[in-house]
Amino acid sequence: MTSLLRMQGIEKRFGGVHALRGVDFDLAAGEVHVLLGENGAGKTTLMGVLSGAVAPDAGTVAIDGRPMVFASPRDAHAAGIAMIPQELDLVPGLDIAANLFLGTEHTSGGVLNHRRMRAEAQQLLRHAGVALDARRSVASLRMGERQLVAIAKALAADARILVMDEPTAALSAVEADHLFGVVRELRGRGVGVVYISHRLEEVPRIADRVTVMRDGAVVGQAAPDSPQGELVRLLVGRSFADLFPARAARAGAPILRLAHAAFDPAIPRAGWQAPVDVSLTVHAGEIVGLAGLMGVGRTELLSALYGFGVDGAWRGTVEVRGRSTHLGSIGAARRAGISYVTDDRRGTGLVLRHTVAQNVVMSTLRRVTPWGLVSRARERADVTRALDDYDVRPRSPDARVINLSGGNQQKVVFAKELLNGPGLLLLDEPTRGVDVGAKAEIYRRLRGLAEAGLGVLVASSELPELIGLCDRIVVMHAGRTVREFGAGASEDAVRYSCEHQGIAA
Amino acid sequence: MSAVRRQSLATLVRFQSLLGLVLVIIAGIAFSPHRHGHILFLAPDNIANIIRSISETGILALGMTFVIIAGGIDLSVGAVLGLCSVMTATLLINDGWGLWSTLPLAIVTGVVFGVVQGAISTRFRIQAFIVTLAGLQAARGLSLIASDNAFININYGEGPGNAPPAFAVLGERIGGVFPVATLIFLVLAAVATFALNDTRYGRYVFAVGGNEKAARLSGIPVERIKISVYALTGFASAVAGIVHAGQFSFGSPNDGTGYELNAIAAVVIGGTDLFGGAGSMVGTIAGAVMLGALANILQLNDVSAAMQLLATGAIIVGAAALQTYVGTRDGTSR
Repeated sequence: MTSLLRMQGIEKRFGGVHALRGVDFDLAAGEVHVLLGENGAGKTTLMGVLSGAVAPDAGTVAIDGRPMVFASPRDAHAAGIAMIPQELDLVPGLDIAANLFLGTEHTSGGVLNHRRMRAEAQQLLRHAGVALDARRSVASLRMGERQLVAIAKALAADARILVMDEPTAALSAVEADHLFGVVRELRGRGVGVVYISHRLEEVPRIADRVTVMRDGAVVGQAAPDSPQGELVRLLVGRSFADLFPARAARAGAPILRLAHAAFDPAIPRAGWQAPVDVSLTVHAGEIVGLAGLMGVGRTELLSALYGFGVDGAWRGTVEVRGRSTHLGSIGAARRAGISYVTDDRRGTGLVLRHTVAQNVVMSTLRRVTPWGLVSRARERADVTRALDDYDVRPRSPDARVINLSGGNQQKVVFAKELLNGPGLLLLDEPTRGVDVGAKAEIYRRLRGLAEAGLGVLVASSELPELIGLCDRIVVMHAGRTVREFGAGASEDAVRYSCEHQGIAA
Repeated sequence: MSAVRRQSLATLVRFQSLLGLVLVIIAGIAFSPHRHGHILFLAPDNIANIIRSISETGILALGMTFVIIAGGIDLSVGAVLGLCSVMTATLLINDGWGLWSTLPLAIVTGVVFGVVQGAISTRFRIQAFIVTLAGLQAARGLSLIASDNAFININYGEGPGNAPPAFAVLGERIGGVFPVATLIFLVLAAVATFALNDTRYGRYVFAVGGNEKAARLSGIPVERIKISVYALTGFASAVAGIVHAGQFSFGSPNDGTGYELNAIAAVVIGGTDLFGGAGSMVGTIAGAVMLGALANILQLNDVSAAMQLLATGAIIVGAAALQTYVGTRDGTSR
């Protein structure tokens, strides 16, 4: 194998932070090289060096054996390196053709030659294996399709090295499959692909080679078919089972009981799988998981319980703490002692520009505003307690949330939702987009909350997570609860049940 | 940048309008014409003029601060001011109504107008900019209808065709110095400051403007809050309209044109973020006073109206630039 790219001894310091410690990395033509690492491991900095955005303190970059020095992203681009960032640089208001030729438009006498650009754009799309009409506006495309357009755009510049930064983060399973197909085809044509990801389950499907980084250094290479446990050990330096806290299994009184409960949306919506026949119980001190394939109604069940995103009414038995309760609005859910932690803390969980204190009391303003007037003393007491209980760092109520690390932002979300001592906590994909170390912290915290008497209902698409974390797992299919597993169920059994509508393996 | 320096810059933005106000006053004293050895700018009569002149846009700016912090905008306030002042004049003079029926009806009209705009904007998810732009046109149309497209003089006295003499109080000065209109502004300013800083409602307004989705998931009644802030601008416009009619003793259907921009200018100079979620009522008040004082200095020095407009424009841009600069350093700008 000839080396298309060889990076050797790359060093980079940012002030006191040693971001890259003598990293070696190489890529062959026609290879997909997966780069794994937690947040802060140095992947992004390394790719910054490759794309000319970051100047290394030491080390060499060679392409086809020729040493290169990139003074700017433009140099790297000219050398055939294309980067597809997580936030795609496409203009939604323009059509695909205009995006592909952004900055390099074909003109005659200053007037855009639409016909020529569309024809060439169509060819570029075909070349990248993308079946889309170049006249469609980017705004009308789904996330996966936009990703494909971004690839076509990169190839339009004759890229030989393609760097993809977590390309599947916002894609559905079907879209991800399609993307993998396109990547494999590029590989077949001799393009070298550096593929950055958090998702271990993708590795065997796409990788030719895997390199794992930790703390700014390469800690190991792995075969693409390595078991996930081995990758985790490389990533975080400890074993997979250690991620999950021990179960206490002291279930108390039922907090939430649904028996043949159904939710009727006021306005039925296509693609929204309403709960049709749900029976499950969450006891105090217990973590119950919702499993099932995409679109079986896990997320919708949580939405309908917390009363957001859709109007409608429940029928059948819906009991909170043994009393029949009308759910269906956020107000009703909160009065019943139900809290919800969103999977999108930046988008829907926090006001990033506000202070920690403002965010912490946001969900429970009634506690600190007797008679509608703000009580500074109560506010301070609540905020101090939250900072102590959740160990938010820096321990400063006036820090703006946007300046906190992701992990500490997550702590603020938990503090905010748990300040008024709810009985039941709903979570949707609590560890999506979170690295393995932070996942372990979230698992530990959830178990701690359950031990303090909270009931937890968590929906997740990651079965190993549910099996490691939960006391019981409820499998859903087409809006129905179809099967229940106790602690210690095998992953294979649960997976089989998910894929076969609840039938036992 | 060091934390200390960042902190001091942030403090600077928080008090930028107060600082600007102090600078404008110093400039006013420095550049003031003198008469009989006295500084004209500081003459009681002149100061009374300044604070009287800002009472109407000041009242509008109080309501506007709530709307902008909640993430909205209200372009209709000047037109609603016109509508309510015309209504007041018409009802008092042409229809012979008393104060106790006229004034409540004018206020209710302003509030209802605001509620309708807020409801349309939230219910049909139309940007507030568009809805209140349409509202501006509608309010102008209504005031032309209400006045029969005529200028209505308010005479005081008994019998038909006259307004109750009590209404003239709005144009008077307490002790011959302090304008009643300004007193109304100050009372409302105190209430608005308290409501924004020390009530649950104020916190809700900040949360809705900061991140609407997060506010909704936190159990905050987002729709009600969004509609209520337009009720507040409607209320403020109505009060300002009544004050307008009382101060000038007439109702004219085209009065209040462009007032919305002065009100927005006061809010922006006061450090409130046009994207919502951050702002200060004290800043707005200082911003309004500063704009009034600035106009006064320029008038005293016989600077043309054109130059006054240019100066105001420059100050608005400067205030916004300072905010963005600090916001970028702070990581809080978008």
